[in-house]
This record gives sequence, C-alpha cells and structure tokens, in this order.
Amino acid sequence: MKSIFVIASLTFGLACNALAAEGGAAPGKSAEELSKTCAACHGADGNGTNAQYPRLAGQYHDYLQRALQEYKNGERQNAIMKGFASTLSEADIDALARFYADKPGTLDDLSHHQQGND
Amino acid sequence: MPRIALARYVAAALLATCFAAPAFADDAKGDPKVGHALVYTCGGCHGVTGYRNAYPNYRVPRIGGQNYDYLVNALTEYKKGERAHPTMRAQGESLSDEDIRNIAAYLSSITLSSSAK
Repeated sequence: MKSIFVIASLTFGLACNALAAEGGAAPGKSAEELSKTCAACHGADGNGTNAQYPRLAGQYHDYLQRALQEYKNGERQNAIMKGFASTLSEADIDALARFYADKPGTLDDLSHHQQGND
Repeated sequence: MPRIALARYVAAALLATCFAAPAFADDAKGDPKVGHALVYTCGGCHGVTGYRNAYPNYRVPRIGGQNYDYLVNALTEYKKGERAHPTMRAQGESLSDEDIRNIAAYLSSITLSSSAK
C-alpha cells in the first residue's frame, strides 16, 4: 500500500515537471509582458523605425511564428534572436506572433505593386 | 555659331552633372525606380495575398513597407546561403549587391496609402 503512494506521488511529481517544461520559463506571462523584451529593437507596437530591424506590426502571424521557431531551433542564425527565442515556449511564440500580427502597421503584400502598377 | 552652341551644350552638361551629383551620392542606398522593375519576380509569391509556403506551411511574409536595411540584410543572407529557404536562396543568388539595394529601396518605399491605388 505504501509503495502505491510512493509511485503515485512520483508520477504526480513527474507530470508537474513535464507541464512546467511545456509551459516554458514563464508559463504565466501574457504576450504583452513578453513583448517588452522585443520593444527595444522592434518598437512597442512592432513598428520600430531602426531600419536594421524588421517591422513586425501587421505581419502574418504564421510567418512570425515560423521565424521565431527557426531562431529557436537554429535554422535561422542570429545571435540576438536566438537568445530571446530559446527562452520561449511554443505557446509563448504563438502568443507573441499573434500579438504583433494584430498591431496596425504599414506592411503590405505586393499585390498592388507589380510592374505596371504604381 | 555652331562652336558657341557646342560650348553651351558642354556648359549645360557640366552644370547638370553638378546638380545631379547629390543624387548620385545616394546611389549607395539603392534606387527605388530601378528596384520597381526588379520586383516582378517577387510578386509570384509576395504579390499573392495570403500565399502559402509549402512544407512547412506558413504564409510568406508581407515585404512591402519593410525596413530598408533589414531587407538588404535578408536578401544578402539568402544570396550567401546563410538563410536556408531554397526558393529565396535561388533568388538571392541571381541578384547583384546593387540589385539587392535597388529592390530594398523600392520595397521600403511602399506605403499602405500607395497600395490603395
């Protein structure tokens, strides 16, 4: 009987650990809180004006998500972005990508800008 | 008289060069007009609203109105093979550094108001 309790508590403990790992370093942080790190370069609303860094506001959320995943897994090499992305869970990445995709911005696709148009 | 006319032309040409000089100084930054002619290929993916990359599946980015230096860096990284996307690497390899600057100058000049046309 005692051993069942030990096994049960061990299993519970492992499950908790697994959940914590799934949630990343900061499971409770909202996208707005997470975005404070990004703001230094990309601007608080994702419309950073330093031309070196990309505008994020109004970008497709799945492209932003993909970019962060690639920084995290090393497919895209950038020392600064790797440092930040590696601290993010999948849920954090999804939340941040949606946060910036929803911000009003100036990005546009080229459907109005083909040769022959303006 | 023709000699005077010729002299006038030469003088005018020299003068034009002087006035044009500041424009040439900006050449390092790329010419949006030249870039406009070069983005025809980009439109095949980036000009189709919501166009999706396959495997993995995600929408290709909106690049109109993106920042100049970022675009130059991104295209240069594709050209050098530092960014992995196969289609974009092939595009990057076909571009000279000057092409890249011209394309970036055009793309970064795009505004939402100009896209309403």
